[in-house]
Amino acid sequence: MSARFIAPVLMGIFMLVLWEGLVRAMAIPPYILPGPILVAKTLVSDWGTLWPALVVTLTITLQALLAAVLVGGALALLFSLSRWIELSLFPYAIILQVTPIVAIAPLIIAWVDDVDVSLLICAWLVAFFPILSNTVLGLRSVDRNLLDLFELYGASRWRTLLELRLPAALPYFLGGLRISGGLALIGAVVAEFVAGSGGRASGLAYRILESGYQLKIPRMFAALVLISAAGIAIYLLLSLISHLLLRRWHESALGEER
Amino acid sequence: MVSSPALSVRSAHIVLDGHVVAENLSLEFPGGRTTCLLGRSGVGKTSLLRHLAGLLPGTAPAGPVAYMAQRDLLLPWLSVLDNVRLGHRLRGDAAARHAAGPRARALLAEVGLGHHLDALPQTLSGGMRQRAALARTLCEDRQIVLMDEPFGHLDAVTRFDLQDLAARLLRGRTVVMVTHDPLEALRLGHEIRILSGTPFVPGPVIAPSGAVPRDPADPELLALQARLIGELRTGG
Repeated sequence: MSARFIAPVLMGIFMLVLWEGLVRAMAIPPYILPGPILVAKTLVSDWGTLWPALVVTLTITLQALLAAVLVGGALALLFSLSRWIELSLFPYAIILQVTPIVAIAPLIIAWVDDVDVSLLICAWLVAFFPILSNTVLGLRSVDRNLLDLFELYGASRWRTLLELRLPAALPYFLGGLRISGGLALIGAVVAEFVAGSGGRASGLAYRILESGYQLKIPRMFAALVLISAAGIAIYLLLSLISHLLLRRWHESALGEER
Repeated sequence: MVSSPALSVRSAHIVLDGHVVAENLSLEFPGGRTTCLLGRSGVGKTSLLRHLAGLLPGTAPAGPVAYMAQRDLLLPWLSVLDNVRLGHRLRGDAAARHAAGPRARALLAEVGLGHHLDALPQTLSGGMRQRAALARTLCEDRQIVLMDEPFGHLDAVTRFDLQDLAARLLRGRTVVMVTHDPLEALRLGHEIRILSGTPFVPGPVIAPSGAVPRDPADPELLALQARLIGELRTGG
């Protein structure tokens, strides 16, 4: 615990001090690179504009993540029930995943009237694939011998899904969820950038763009800090959920206690 | 106890992944007795058990059977007690599940896990997990029990204890046990058959005298063990 916690914190403090020192020593103007102290001050002074923007971005992120869980999970279940559905749909899920969101975001924003909905769709598109592919993998990695056992015990298909496939797939699903949490935030921010260049959004990315235009670089950095902090918070929250759900039985959660 | 039925295989063809494991195979397993199938790794012992259990494509089980695999196959998210009454839980009948409770508890007490009802499998040793698996197999209360190297990866002393326990608890049932350990076959089997060759052919019935579980220090047993090892080496 101690070294694991202290080492990165010390490293962070060292980097911040180095940053502040360089900015002062080389007299870099704040519109090129503000020092961390100025960024912190801006974070406090501009909290009134930044906080509502953070709420907007976080709302879209969490809605997109929820939609990703529902659609990704439901599709994974469907795929595990029918080989035909999987064979027909999975390639298209991959196409959606590999198409850069920056390239299709303008289309989606143009097609969908409601900006919030279009942002939601963009963030969802980025976030749903890890959940889908991980859950499909989990549902399919069930021990062959256990499936035989369930068959011998006369378990119905539904029972086998409920009592064996779903619990066995849970660790995989949670692994996908942790990746998707970060991706949902990235998707939301990217979509806001695209929408923001048309002047139609109010989230953190829009604040970054706006600060850039107005040369308020310290505010831009403050917004960046908030996005990173939000990403870390989402990751930690999802890790905590994962730990709480698995701590009783799964290797990944038991590893450290041995 | 109701006498357990005999089990027989008649002119069976067992094919696994395109390889013929057994051809035109006929075998009899006497009712209420333990038959041990002995053979080297890869000879097709497990395939034969899976055939008997109806788990291979195109086969149907010989009747209601209980199956105990090499690994304990306990579900890591269920307590020991819930694992033992898994069969009842899966058949979804709430009444049967409740009725299975006392039986599962009694069996767990019998295998020495009476104080670990609520423990998760993760927290138990390999021997204890295999005891739980044995209790689960017996909780099904089938007249025919198929066992696939059930004690194969346990240490020697634990294996001895579990063999004694199994011999006591399986008395009166028709048991087909696959093993690669000649001593295990000699301790537990009323009848022993050696499987050898590709596709495999069962050897003649070997029926050691005396009640199971037999004493491993018995000179007759040791002589038989030497003979079995010899046959396994030449027949492989």
